[in-house]
Amino acid sequence: MKQKHNIVAKLLGGLSLLIYFFLWAPVIVIIVFSFSSNKYGTSWDGFTLNWYAALFNNADVKDALIRSLVIASITVVVSTIIGTITGYGLFKLHFRGKQFLRTSILLPIVFPSVVTGSALLVFFTRFIQIPLGYPSIIIAHIVFSSPLAVFVILGRMQRFDWSWEEAAMDLGATRFRTFWRVTGPMLLPAIAASAMLIFPWSFDDFVITYFVAGIGSTTLPIYVFSQLRFGATPVINTIGTLFVLLTMVALALMYFIQKKNESI
Amino acid sequence: MTASDIETTPMAVKRERRKLFVDVTAYLSPIIIIVVVFVFAPLTIILFYSFLKSGIYGEIIYSFSLDNFRAIWGGGYGRVFLQSIYLAFQTNFFCILIGYPIAYFIAKYGGRWKTLLLFLVIVPSWASYLIRLYALKTIIGSKGLVNTVLINLDLISAPLDILYTPFAVMMGLVYAWLPYMILPIYAAIEGLDPSVLEAATDLGATPVRRFFRVTLPLTKGGLLAGSILVFIPTVGEWLVPQLFGGSKIMMAGSLVALKFTSVGNIPEGSSLAIMLAATLILILYLTIKWGGREAIERML
Repeated sequence: MKQKHNIVAKLLGGLSLLIYFFLWAPVIVIIVFSFSSNKYGTSWDGFTLNWYAALFNNADVKDALIRSLVIASITVVVSTIIGTITGYGLFKLHFRGKQFLRTSILLPIVFPSVVTGSALLVFFTRFIQIPLGYPSIIIAHIVFSSPLAVFVILGRMQRFDWSWEEAAMDLGATRFRTFWRVTGPMLLPAIAASAMLIFPWSFDDFVITYFVAGIGSTTLPIYVFSQLRFGATPVINTIGTLFVLLTMVALALMYFIQKKNESI
Repeated sequence: MTASDIETTPMAVKRERRKLFVDVTAYLSPIIIIVVVFVFAPLTIILFYSFLKSGIYGEIIYSFSLDNFRAIWGGGYGRVFLQSIYLAFQTNFFCILIGYPIAYFIAKYGGRWKTLLLFLVIVPSWASYLIRLYALKTIIGSKGLVNTVLINLDLISAPLDILYTPFAVMMGLVYAWLPYMILPIYAAIEGLDPSVLEAATDLGATPVRRFFRVTLPLTKGGLLAGSILVFIPTVGEWLVPQLFGGSKIMMAGSLVALKFTSVGNIPEGSSLAIMLAATLILILYLTIKWGGREAIERML
């Protein structure tokens, strides 16, 4: 019996290893070639840091990076605020049409990006005159991010101990004070989790942004796309490497914050 | 509190209602504005445009007809839609086939490495989608790593033409969406009650029988949630067919993008987008009908 167990474990382990290899091979290729002196970024010709120097001296990249950071930051702040109050409202209030509202909130998550992107483009240019660029991109990102925040926060609320809130109210705290001192802090991990989810989504979104960006508002993914048309360049590999590093740092941070919360 | 304390006078009911209305407005108006103004209104507008026509210079001609929708069914577009659904099915099937074992392995044998193993599934999916797909494309390309290794090992004499085939598109799709299948399945396996499995063993089930009769049916919810997360976005995918299929393999999402960004034919693009959205809503509806609410609730 024990023997059989081991064989299954080994078999599954070996299979998993292959799948991990499939998932990671492109990432490893990007990282390795970002340090290769081959100027097409497709084979190993010896170690160099030149491409990183080129990246940091590239004004277009810097512009695109700043634009993406600004957009993602505004999106995260607005979406998590909307997500928090909506989650709270959906959890606490019972009214007719609630199920319909919940289903409607799902639509922007379920619809393919090309549908959301094209519908918003037509809406912005033909119906209300919202200038393509920062305003249109930020609105589009908030539209697909807030629903995510709502469901992350709603999911967390279902596992809450709500008696704390009742206790605060019973002890005479006003509704605002209760939210500020009790409910809010309890929600903080959920808010952090939704922010951590939304930031990379917004930062990495290509399709919807491509539709609504108009001319001249190049975000980082759009810059990458425009460069890839001419084939891979080592500079693209350095951007990819930095992406991976940042993701790992963010995830590790999230993990340690969670660990710390658990120990308290 | 006794029953008589609860106010049931019309005045009190009215006050209750007004309070609820104020609360709903206070908490939910931002999301209602987003949904109504930036989701429903744009969809209504493209629905309106989908009945119009485009002139030779891309100007809109205001004459209503069902021509655009007829063209989808009659012309080659219908085939593209069917191909997208077929590719999405294939992708979903392979994601389950690949995703189940790894999710099972992490949940059952992960031990104290569980977090790290999950971390290793998630990290690639959060690192620039575009760059990763491009890297995968170079790896399987005619001068890529796969072909170089196979030629050097003398397994093949000429490079394999993997790119620009339906298989390549499917591979790209599986690569892009696999983590979204692994995570819900993992959650479902992790949530299994061990005593149920013990009971099955005690009652004499072989491990294989136990897996197919107990574990698999009990993790159906995870499979369904993963399938929704993978299947739906896959049908509307644009970048993957663009990169891996070139001009040979088109998917429904590519048609929409083509009409809007390259051709500039808003009415035809709108009708394709509406068709795509309607198809997906229908699929989602059928999935919920078939799989029950529970899977959806679990996903949320």
